Amino acid sequence: MLIADCGSTWTKILETGSGEVEIISTRELVRRNELFFEVATGHSGRKRSRVYKNELIALAVGSLSLVQEEDFSIVDVGGRDVKFVRFAGRKVKKLDWNLTCGSSTGATIELLGSYYEVDFTRLSAFGKWINVTCGVFGMEKVLEHVSTGTPPEEAVAMFLHGMVRNVFDFSGRPEHLYLSGGFCENNCFLQTMEKYCSVTPLGRTVPLEGLRDGIR
Amino acid sequence: MKDNQEKLIGYFGFPRRSLLREVRERYGVDLPLIDLDVNSGAPDSGLLPRATCRIIANIVDNAAELGERLAAVVAAVGEDKCDRGRHAAWILEGMGLDVIESRFPEDEFEERPLLWSTGRGPLPGRVDRIMETIIDPSPPADLPESCEPTQGFWGVPPNDFRLLELFPETTHIYGWIRCVEAGRPADLDLECMVDDGVPTVFFHQSFCAKQDLAHNLAERYGGIAVDCHREINDSILAKVEAFIKLS
Repeated sequence: MLIADCGSTWTKILETGSGEVEIISTRELVRRNELFFEVATGHSGRKRSRVYKNELIALAVGSLSLVQEEDFSIVDVGGRDVKFVRFAGRKVKKLDWNLTCGSSTGATIELLGSYYEVDFTRLSAFGKWINVTCGVFGMEKVLEHVSTGTPPEEAVAMFLHGMVRNVFDFSGRPEHLYLSGGFCENNCFLQTMEKYCSVTPLGRTVPLEGLRDGIR
Repeated sequence: MKDNQEKLIGYFGFPRRSLLREVRERYGVDLPLIDLDVNSGAPDSGLLPRATCRIIANIVDNAAELGERLAAVVAAVGEDKCDRGRHAAWILEGMGLDVIESRFPEDEFEERPLLWSTGRGPLPGRVDRIMETIIDPSPPADLPESCEPTQGFWGVPPNDFRLLELFPETTHIYGWIRCVEAGRPADLDLECMVDDGVPTVFFHQSFCAKQDLAHNLAERYGGIAVDCHREINDSILAKVEAFIKLS
């Protein structure tokens, strides 16, 4: 059985029998009309699934299946949104969903990274940051830095730092944070987040765990 | 929007009841009243910037479309509304409309029972019934059954009522809507009162000053702040749906 988390930029597909996960760009997903899922979540999954699940619920359920602590916070930094859930006694204590702001989202950083050809596997955390109150204005500041002599890698790392601060604030400034989503594979993001709180990356398949939990 | 050419008396916010009465007596008690806050599909008048409160834009757009059909506009411009309500009144006056300003004073606050705010029933209908009490506060014949709250909705009537359809029938109403039902539209203490332990969605229109209250109260009560500009989209509905299901 195929289940999927069809995000705005990346689609994560799990074959429940084999446990194999395939990650494809959502750009590719929309071209592959044959792909249809038993259960799905995410912006692009509604019309491609027999059963559609709410993303925040999938994240919450998935995190409960992966984390055994009584009290914890998880944040999912997606392509175009950020989702946050705090549990106390394994019950939802607080949640939030930043829906359409590019000041904290993966797509913005992917745009910047590809424009400046930044290799995120080699990018180091940077102490200074750019205020990223707005993703577009933040990008404009990166352009300004680069045009006045700052190396592009440094400027992008500063933007990333500004984003990390937004995510940290959005999550209620916890001492420890579980992270879900593509930034789990971005060392610069993780190192920068460690300046503010300890962080445990759970990978890109937490919502899939939530979907799988629902069909067990 | 009324589709014939009869004259109307427009109002927005919660004008003083005595003033509404006076205006009706002056302009004609038979003239229908129309709430200009409500989205009626009027075209964009172009009189306001795009990034402004949708409710204020509704007022100005509705008034611009109705034009001379409005015998008068009773405009809430005090603390019971907002600065932008005052500005809207000024703009309407500049359009040549007969505008009568209302400021709801504390000594006219009432103590009306919160029948619809704490009753059981579909949320959109109860919000409508509360807003109708501005014109007719007499007790309803169909009293709603009171209930314990399982959910809370705080705020003003949204531009797009589809948001309200997500809530269970046992949702209690807080914020400015509750103030309207109580007859105390500028009572900040009542506006900020929320029952402890009731998972509450704190709603505000985008670009409205009430966002300060919504965010503060959401933090204080462990609720969720939600804003919307024009129409509700799937993402906002999903966020509220998740909060209701998970809380």
